[in-house]
Amino acid sequence: MSTLERRTFLKTSAMAAATAAVSQRAGGAAAAPASDGIHWDKAPCRFCGTGCHVKVGVRDGKVVAIAGHPDAEVNKGLLCVKGYHVGGILYGEDRLKHPMLRRNGVLERISWDEAIDIAARKIMEAPERFAIYGSGQWTIPEGYAAQKLIKGGLSNNHIEPNARLCMASAVTGFISTYGVDEPAGCYDDLDACDVLILWGNNMSEMHPVLFSRFYDRKSRGEKITLIDLGTRRTRTTEFADHYMEFRPQSDLAIANCIAQQLIERDAWDKEFVEKHCAFRADADLTKPDLMGVAIDFENYKQRVAEYTPEKVSEISGLPVEQLRLLGDLFADPKVKITSTWCMGMNQHTRATAINRLVHGIHLLSGKFGSPGNAPTSLTGQPSACGTAREVGTLCHALPGGRLVAKPEHREQCEKHWNLPAGRINATPGHHTVLMWEKFCTPTAEGGDIRTILVQVTNPGQSLPNLHKLFRAKKGLDDKFLIVSDVYPTATTELADLVLPAALWVEKNGVFGNSERRTQQWFKQVEPPGEAREDVWMTIAIARRLYDLGHPGMKDKDGNFIFRFTDDAGNEVPVWEYDRFHEINVDRALYDDYRPLTFLKHKHLAPYDVLKEHTGLRWPVVEQSDGSFRETRFRFSEFDDPFVKKGNGIEFYHSTTNDGRAQIWFCPYEAHPEEPDEEFPFWLCTGRVLEHWHTGTMTMRVPQLRGAVPNNYVEIHPDDAREAGIGNGDKVVLATRRGELELSAWINGRGRPPRGSLFVPFFDQIRQINLLTLDAHCPISKEPDYKKCAARIRKA
Amino acid sequence: MSGVSRRDMFRVLLGRGREEVPQAPPAAPVASSGGDELALILDRFCLAWQGSFCSVCSERCPEPGAIVVEQGKPRVDPGKCTGCRVCHDVCPAPRNAVFLVARKARGGMIGKTVDETRPEEPDHE
Repeated sequence: MSTLERRTFLKTSAMAAATAAVSQRAGGAAAAPASDGIHWDKAPCRFCGTGCHVKVGVRDGKVVAIAGHPDAEVNKGLLCVKGYHVGGILYGEDRLKHPMLRRNGVLERISWDEAIDIAARKIMEAPERFAIYGSGQWTIPEGYAAQKLIKGGLSNNHIEPNARLCMASAVTGFISTYGVDEPAGCYDDLDACDVLILWGNNMSEMHPVLFSRFYDRKSRGEKITLIDLGTRRTRTTEFADHYMEFRPQSDLAIANCIAQQLIERDAWDKEFVEKHCAFRADADLTKPDLMGVAIDFENYKQRVAEYTPEKVSEISGLPVEQLRLLGDLFADPKVKITSTWCMGMNQHTRATAINRLVHGIHLLSGKFGSPGNAPTSLTGQPSACGTAREVGTLCHALPGGRLVAKPEHREQCEKHWNLPAGRINATPGHHTVLMWEKFCTPTAEGGDIRTILVQVTNPGQSLPNLHKLFRAKKGLDDKFLIVSDVYPTATTELADLVLPAALWVEKNGVFGNSERRTQQWFKQVEPPGEAREDVWMTIAIARRLYDLGHPGMKDKDGNFIFRFTDDAGNEVPVWEYDRFHEINVDRALYDDYRPLTFLKHKHLAPYDVLKEHTGLRWPVVEQSDGSFRETRFRFSEFDDPFVKKGNGIEFYHSTTNDGRAQIWFCPYEAHPEEPDEEFPFWLCTGRVLEHWHTGTMTMRVPQLRGAVPNNYVEIHPDDAREAGIGNGDKVVLATRRGELELSAWINGRGRPPRGSLFVPFFDQIRQINLLTLDAHCPISKEPDYKKCAARIRKA
Repeated sequence: MSGVSRRDMFRVLLGRGREEVPQAPPAAPVASSGGDELALILDRFCLAWQGSFCSVCSERCPEPGAIVVEQGKPRVDPGKCTGCRVCHDVCPAPRNAVFLVARKARGGMIGKTVDETRPEEPDHE
């Protein structure tokens, strides 16, 4: 963009984020709205799982200013570059404004009535072959409505969030260790730890505000140590006290090496382990499952014994001294250690295993349950925890940590939803990779998914191995893809029906962030054109199914399953859009959902309490004076009201029903596609600071698009020299699944070691997921976007 | 609020913010005046200096070594800057943090900022 254009933009776009942000920080006063006609309200940021809270300034029906919320505990007024521009995502020029149907290959405008009717009829043709694919960007009420429609209404469990590609392995790690999902600690650990270990986690790029929160302690003279365990040098490495560069996949061996040293040095926390832990391993390594079998300490000790620093140094490439340093830190009872991770551990063909192992070393060393001692997974989406994990919009789950396979859980939901017994199907649906594989397989060849409704995500760019899992849909005439989105995307390119959606503060919402914090906001501006709320679409489709006579759309009293009433008790037909805003449907759905969170002690705050705060961390429990108190440290008596007095630590959802957490042994196993002669490089993919996910929102913000306009491949200078590649040269990157032309970036933002490449995935024009692998963790079913074999040549 | 208070978190930033005298951006010329100008990064507006993270100006700068990054914070090397304005055009900060100033100091621009970036130059002509 030229200077002139840019200046004009800055003047006219009026996204005067800085004015508020900078004046707040400079003056310290919480920006009271000046007499400039701007009305301020609050909302969590639309982007990542950090869950920063922003102040949203609206004038004349338009978001004109953004500021970091000074009272938000998460970000304390600070935002990252994306956050300062979050309002800009609403105003891209190509917002989808009207429903469209593909006729003769072309998307043509139709009415909402037609669109809802077509969607409902497609579902009605084969309800058991219908699937819903959403994301961790669904608000809690949106996910809950979709969940109720498909599982409670259609007796069908084919519902998945893109969180399957993101957080599923963290879930299986938490459940198989503690018996219940989500971190016990919270961001407060970053304020208290002595050592922060980042397990393949580039926090300053992906969760920058959290990293600032931690690192600012150093600026204040506190003695804190940052350990960057990674497979390439990143922005974060520059701040690390110790950079430990390991061979991809060998994190499994490194974690085991820490356990081996704790035992060999007799430095494990015997009191903690004897009181609170048990040992576990997979029964059959060729068929690992979620729960495994109990083993005793001797067996565990024997199995980790081979992971000596010397041996693990060979596997991982880490010097023995670095492995011993990790052993020293975990062995020192005075050192408070927090571990964080995100996609590096979760997108892994042995993802559940590495999650378990990192929990295991924290338990074995007793570095758990006090401020500063915690193994904490970070999420990449604003409501991966709140919606995907807590509402359970997964093919095997029901709301509140319940499972479709458990008769008592189905019964509880049927009762809560007033459905006839047996309505909910007991068989889990297809997980994400399988769902899209079946959708892209001809019906005659067993492709048993026929219609998919996609909401708030972009699988046409974010699925791995896109040729196989998405593009193969083209030409399959009986397959029908319905996509609700805000902009044209790689997914709408193949959509048969496109539904224009309201975005962020164009609707009410509730998100749940990485640290169990539930955050609420109200609609602040009107969506453009005919764009409407996703939750309305779900209810309208359900109502049309009801009208078409689908029996599942009625509860056992014959009422519509989405029956809402006004204060006087009269039913409000919210499926008629002009009546939709008569009541707060979000609130009604949230109130309906909230009691379901009590079973696993994930008590959410009441809506009225939530709206007064910048988020509260569950369990949020009512006090004797009627106030509600959040919980920062779960399972710890000093903070968690559900721990029995005198127990100190109690894992009250233990898989062994004895209050114990499981310390797992899982071996190091090689990756299924290691580099070889033909494809000699490791290829890793990921995000960049300026863009979020597939870039559909951030690429519409001129400042962010201008900052990083396209993706690239990072390569080591020696590898580049050998291949005759110069900085900025066009190169052809290839894997067994396809090839892609990109520009090379040598000594760029990230610096991969020799034999390693990195490519961001936000670029819609150069889609790296055409090349990635769909091999996945056998337990979480989450694919490995971080490793596959590749080759590169000058174009 | 537990742990780190907002005041603590921004103590460093606030200190700097208070020292700096607010100043309006210079009347930026529309096109590069080819070598007569010098880029300046105002820490007050720069995301990297303000406790967030950013490295776009140094990454996109076509002149090797003209923008140096230390501990995540960019600084213009006046000896290498050609005044090409790329850093200004790509700066994603909410208020553009890059200003182009005349290489030769003139009235109103001889404050601390110029001193910092041009230690080898005299304050006045």
